[in-house]
Amino acid sequence: MILFAQLRSWWNALFHRTRIDNDIEEELQFHIDAHTQQLIEVGLSPQEARRNAIIEFGRVDTQKEKYRSAIGLQPLHEINGDIRYGLRSLYRNRVVSLVAILSLALGIGATTAIFSVVYDALLHPFPYAGADRIVNPAVIDKAHPQSPTWFALTPSQFENFSKANSLDSVLGFMLNGLTATGSELPEDVQAAYVTSNISSFLGVPAKLGRGIEPFDVAKGRPPSNVVVLTYKYWQSKYGGDSKIVGRTLQLNHENYTIVGVMPRRFAFTQTVSNADVYIPWAPTRSPNLFPWIKLKPGVSLAAANSEFQSFLDEFKRETPKHFPASFQVSVQPINEPYIHQSGPTFALLFASVVLLLLIGCANCSILLLARGESRLHEFAIRSAIGASRFRIVRQLLIESLAIACAGATIGVAASFWLAQLPLQVMPNAYFPQEAAITVNLPILAFSVVLALLTGLLSGIYPALRLSRPNLSQIIQSTSRNAGVKSSKRTLNLLIGSQIALTFLLLGLAGAAITGFLKITSTRLGYDPHNVMVVGIPLKRDTSKNRIARATYIDQVRESAASVPGVISVAVCSRGIPPAPPFNGLKAPFEILGAPSQQEQLAATTLVSPEYFATLKIPLLKGRLWDQSENRRGDFVAVVNQALAQRYWPQGNAIGHQISISGLKDEGAPLSVASPQSSQQRQIIGIVADSRNDGLERPAAPAIYVPYTTFMWDYTQLFIRTANQPLASLKAIRTALHSINPEQRTMTVSDDLEAGLQFQPIWVQQRLFSILFSFFACLALLLSLVGLASTVSFAIAQRTSELGIRMALGAQQSHIVWIVVRTTLITVASGVAIGLLLTLAIEKALRHWTPASFSTPWTLVAVTLLLLTCATIACLLPARRAAHIDPMQTLRCD
Amino acid sequence: MGKQIDLLQGTLEILILKAVSLGPLHGYGILLRIQQISGERLEIPQGSFYIALYRIEHKGWLEGEWGESENNRRAKFYRLTTAGNRQLKSETAKWSQMTDVVNTILRATPEQI
Repeated sequence: MILFAQLRSWWNALFHRTRIDNDIEEELQFHIDAHTQQLIEVGLSPQEARRNAIIEFGRVDTQKEKYRSAIGLQPLHEINGDIRYGLRSLYRNRVVSLVAILSLALGIGATTAIFSVVYDALLHPFPYAGADRIVNPAVIDKAHPQSPTWFALTPSQFENFSKANSLDSVLGFMLNGLTATGSELPEDVQAAYVTSNISSFLGVPAKLGRGIEPFDVAKGRPPSNVVVLTYKYWQSKYGGDSKIVGRTLQLNHENYTIVGVMPRRFAFTQTVSNADVYIPWAPTRSPNLFPWIKLKPGVSLAAANSEFQSFLDEFKRETPKHFPASFQVSVQPINEPYIHQSGPTFALLFASVVLLLLIGCANCSILLLARGESRLHEFAIRSAIGASRFRIVRQLLIESLAIACAGATIGVAASFWLAQLPLQVMPNAYFPQEAAITVNLPILAFSVVLALLTGLLSGIYPALRLSRPNLSQIIQSTSRNAGVKSSKRTLNLLIGSQIALTFLLLGLAGAAITGFLKITSTRLGYDPHNVMVVGIPLKRDTSKNRIARATYIDQVRESAASVPGVISVAVCSRGIPPAPPFNGLKAPFEILGAPSQQEQLAATTLVSPEYFATLKIPLLKGRLWDQSENRRGDFVAVVNQALAQRYWPQGNAIGHQISISGLKDEGAPLSVASPQSSQQRQIIGIVADSRNDGLERPAAPAIYVPYTTFMWDYTQLFIRTANQPLASLKAIRTALHSINPEQRTMTVSDDLEAGLQFQPIWVQQRLFSILFSFFACLALLLSLVGLASTVSFAIAQRTSELGIRMALGAQQSHIVWIVVRTTLITVASGVAIGLLLTLAIEKALRHWTPASFSTPWTLVAVTLLLLTCATIACLLPARRAAHIDPMQTLRCD
Repeated sequence: MGKQIDLLQGTLEILILKAVSLGPLHGYGILLRIQQISGERLEIPQGSFYIALYRIEHKGWLEGEWGESENNRRAKFYRLTTAGNRQLKSETAKWSQMTDVVNTILRATPEQI
């Protein structure tokens, strides 16, 4: 009740001000009149009575002020006035205000943009219901703690697992490559078998038709043959046909009814691999399931892990092969892999936009200070008639906040556009495909906080500086340049730090560009031009007939080689250079007669002998294995120069025996190995190094062995053609069709050369080059504006002094020199500090961006660029000083 | 003016509430009534009087309404609200407790200690 009364009284005071003012006036007038009347009754004359009554009461205006402070609204009333006055004074200096606003807008825009990307694309990328509670089923193999793996469950384990206390619900899925049959050539379709609770678990409704629903797998009858398409597959295969629902898709010769299409922002299972279609899961379709786990609200990861550990220990006893020998459950939020991948990149980008923001703030401070100097008189008078320092500080802060708010408005609008950039520049693996940049509350809140912070940051120093005017000096002096020594020092400090930060950003951009150029011009050691890699899924065959499988692969290779336009075809079981094979794991090997304490690692690559010719990797010494050795698989190996030189520096590697334990047949159902795959092999040849450990690192030691020594249900063909390889794809697929009508190939979207651009380091370095250069240019622009305005301000202050100097015969060049002297010295010190800063940070940076590095030449170039631009920015306004008319300036004062 | 007493901090509000509780009054009337009841021994500064009055109204203990004064002028009459009545009671209780305590202390003799 009481609170309500207070609110009403504030409401009235704020929004019915005139009425309240009138009421108070009337009431107080009544009081004075009544009092006058009383005094007259006591015997005073009417005039005397009125005078006494008014004196006793005081001014009505003062009373009104007291009224406002009585109900606690006085500060609001004053701030209202400050805002109106502040806006008027900003409007009076339109150009200065506009430059200040734009300075902050650039900084705020860039910072908000990067924040949006981090927030929308890394922290909250998924459109799923309760996405922050969904976790990947990761376990950490104690033998390889760096790379978590996922665990799969059998149907009965899945059933058991879903009863765990920590989980709210669990979604099971398994990916499987299927063949779309019924058309001319068999096509590869990646199917995700999903449990029928997918619609309720993920909470994303279908775009057309419906999703998979529980009634698709009723107990007691076979699961229904229905399929839901992803948006991408619907677009590429059916051209976005809106009447697709109800039609049939033939997969592995079985007919499936298309019941729905998912929306564009839905790419479930992307973390594992992209799916094209979703099919209801049934034990007959896939024996195992990966669980996607939605935790109950409030359950911590640690609690979930410890509960799941006991489940999994139990499961491991049933199916030991599904789990590493010694492991620890470590479920991870579903955005974790992306944060791991892109987090460092964005940490660095965020740091650089914060630098840009700081430069913008410094710029705004410089402009406020410069403008404030010309208002010193105003402040002096205000404080002379009783304004407290607090009032003046408040006035100035309100002005800088107004600038910041305007800047933030423009900046946030621009950030929406800027934030799309990283998503376009970086390929899919860096962000979930489902990520979308949207304007949302946290981002708006972030920018509001940013606006307040920048407003305070850029305003506080000028406000404190200007609110302490030296009264007597200012009011006595006639010229405008009194009492500013200390703020000149401040200005120089601001400019110096601006230049230093700009140098840092330019240095970063220079290093990023140098790094990118180095990567794009890396000597690969192999020739990716006109080569493509075609993935060949093999029929699931548990017969362990090694010869048959090797013969089939060779048949496939030969039929591809017979296609016109194809120069050579090689088999390489897994891994595409320059990335490391076996998902980055290098296999340990041992040298006969030279046991080593330390683990010796080599990139073990399973290839056919044509591999070297196809990629144009030269043989340096010895020989390659022949076809019969290739069929046998055992006893031979070829190593690269890096390995040969590391272990046999005298150059006598050939003839030595090595063994690779990782090639041992572990008895997995789908793989087959030659009898002595993990036994001794003789080194018969040495080939030149080619990049196999990422673009940014030199070639790692590598061992090449015949692919027939270890095979599973997948292989790859490396195909060199005379012309653009993708053009021959159709002919190659037809050739494969002729030897096996069921043989599908994986989708090939790029040749080997174009694929380089998707290498992580290439992507990261390209993004850095583009964004850093962009930010550095903005920073440079801001600093130059700051410089130019400082020089102009200095000239305006010294006009009369310069006039006198000219009247006494100073040369124009001398005038220019004395005007820009201090500023140039500041710039030079800024550059020096920036250089030191860059050198100091460089080491730390190498950790984040292994490929970025600055050569001395980069730093020289940056120094020259900055000095030249700064000199021009100083000289442009200084020229004006040289054309001052002495007579006019002298007359002015 | 030796007989006049300075007002203790914060007591003005309770006096205003009391004066209004005796019957609705306009501002000047409240001032007069307090002075009259006090036997003219209390001098209330007119400036702070209205501040106190407005603060009380803002807190919702009084309600103002425009009406006609005794000499047919528009004047704002104040009335005690329910909340104001409660406040008056609790403040009165507090006040008498306070004076009791202070009096006890002031009347203390050496024998009592």
